[in-house]
Amino acid sequence: MTAQATFTFNASTPALSLQGISKHFGELEVLRDISVQVGQGEILALLGTSGCGKSTLLNILSGLLEADQGTLQLEGLEAAQFEGWRRVAYMFQEDRLLPWRSVRNNVAFGLEGSGLSKSERLARADAALKLVELDTFAKAWPHQLSGGMRNRVALARSLVVEPSVLLMDEPFSKLDPQTRTQMHHELLRLQALKGMTIVFVTHDVEEAVVLADRVVVLEPRPGRIRDIVSIDLNRPRVPTAADVSEQVRQLRLKV
Amino acid sequence: MSSMLSNRFVILFAQRLLLVAVFAIAWWYAAGRLPSFVLPGPEKVFAALNNLWHSATFVHDLGATMGRVFSGFALAALVGTPLGLALGSSRMLAQFFEPILAVFNTVSSAIWAIFAIIWFGISDATTVFVVFMTSMPLILTNVWQGAQTVERQYIDLARSFRMSRGQILLKIYLPTILPYFFSGARLAFGFGWRVSLVAETLGASDGIGYRLRQAADLVQSDQVFAWTILLVTLMLLLEAGVLKPLERRLFRWKTSNQ
Repeated sequence: MTAQATFTFNASTPALSLQGISKHFGELEVLRDISVQVGQGEILALLGTSGCGKSTLLNILSGLLEADQGTLQLEGLEAAQFEGWRRVAYMFQEDRLLPWRSVRNNVAFGLEGSGLSKSERLARADAALKLVELDTFAKAWPHQLSGGMRNRVALARSLVVEPSVLLMDEPFSKLDPQTRTQMHHELLRLQALKGMTIVFVTHDVEEAVVLADRVVVLEPRPGRIRDIVSIDLNRPRVPTAADVSEQVRQLRLKV
Repeated sequence: MSSMLSNRFVILFAQRLLLVAVFAIAWWYAAGRLPSFVLPGPEKVFAALNNLWHSATFVHDLGATMGRVFSGFALAALVGTPLGLALGSSRMLAQFFEPILAVFNTVSSAIWAIFAIIWFGISDATTVFVVFMTSMPLILTNVWQGAQTVERQYIDLARSFRMSRGQILLKIYLPTILPYFFSGARLAFGFGWRVSLVAETLGASDGIGYRLRQAADLVQSDQVFAWTILLVTLMLLLEAGVLKPLERRLFRWKTSNQ
């Protein structure tokens, strides 16, 4: 069902469109000629070994970094004049919860650049916490939570802005395998509910196959696209199922 | 749990009471064997304390000193905090100005007091200046240290939510430096308070420091003791009644609350 919902993107304007993106850090060429389109509601994985520039690419997509060359369009608009930037959320590799804020205020942090009133921000934060089933921990401090719970708070903080695009930089890589699987389910459930576009970075082939509609395989030094693979498998995808493990095996050959 | 807590409290209270008793007996014993102008006995000091409390100038003197200390301290916080932030966010500025701070920290408060008398004469400004010069470097140094611990990660997080520089300053920098500011301010206030008396003995015509010097000139040791007891009590009350609760409230996120 999720798969069907996410494949309607062909008809409409792409959520994200990258054309010939290149980036240098001084002498070092990090990204070369990256072109890819991400449909509305699509889940796209950026897969590659370390040093292939996948985090740099995500930073460019989020607007934290500027590309040297190429164009980036969000919902058909040049990124520079894109009004809906606040609806692009970034979930980092670390949870980055502010230790001096309660869970609730950490989630509300996402809205503090938005001009909403405080009561409105807190109401939305509570709703986002409910979404990730942590509403009973609203008043807790971050250091009182487990790694998995902190991760869900970070997810809630990203969701609270009602993102049209959610960017994720190996968001589950620091979790134990069991919690990671839980978070995969959680993410897919929320994506089906909210319909946002997701671009996530991973070096884990299995994670890419379980989550993504398409996988962009990146090649290192300089980072460029080696292949783009569609994952046409039914959901839910269980890593141990024959079709999934076959897809993982095939994709592994390309990385 | 609460009975254990009250038990501990009772023991602590008994210990403190015992300490006061031991101190009082030693004082009383020593006072009996020394001339009164060297060490006045407890009953004389408490009589002086009582007189002081009811004297016409007491409130005025206390107010004058407090006003100077708070003015100097507030100025120090107002100047030291932004300077510390600036140095903390720019390595170049920090490198350039670091020696000045070292100089400030080594100049004795008595020297500031003498300069202040040359520049401001017998006035409020003299004491305010000495408090300022003593406490400002302490606040600056602590805020500077705090600003260096601001996490790049949190700044990027705020930027990813499109926050402005002002918002980043307010929501990331300020909470990070607050514990540093607080310990700096506490130190600065303590030092400022103590040097204010030194400054007042030299360059004021009212205030606690002035009264202390007057008492010294007239060899009224009981007066000096009375003021000392008063000041110590005042500082302890400030510590227990304002600073400790404030600190607990501000930094409750650091300790787990069950």
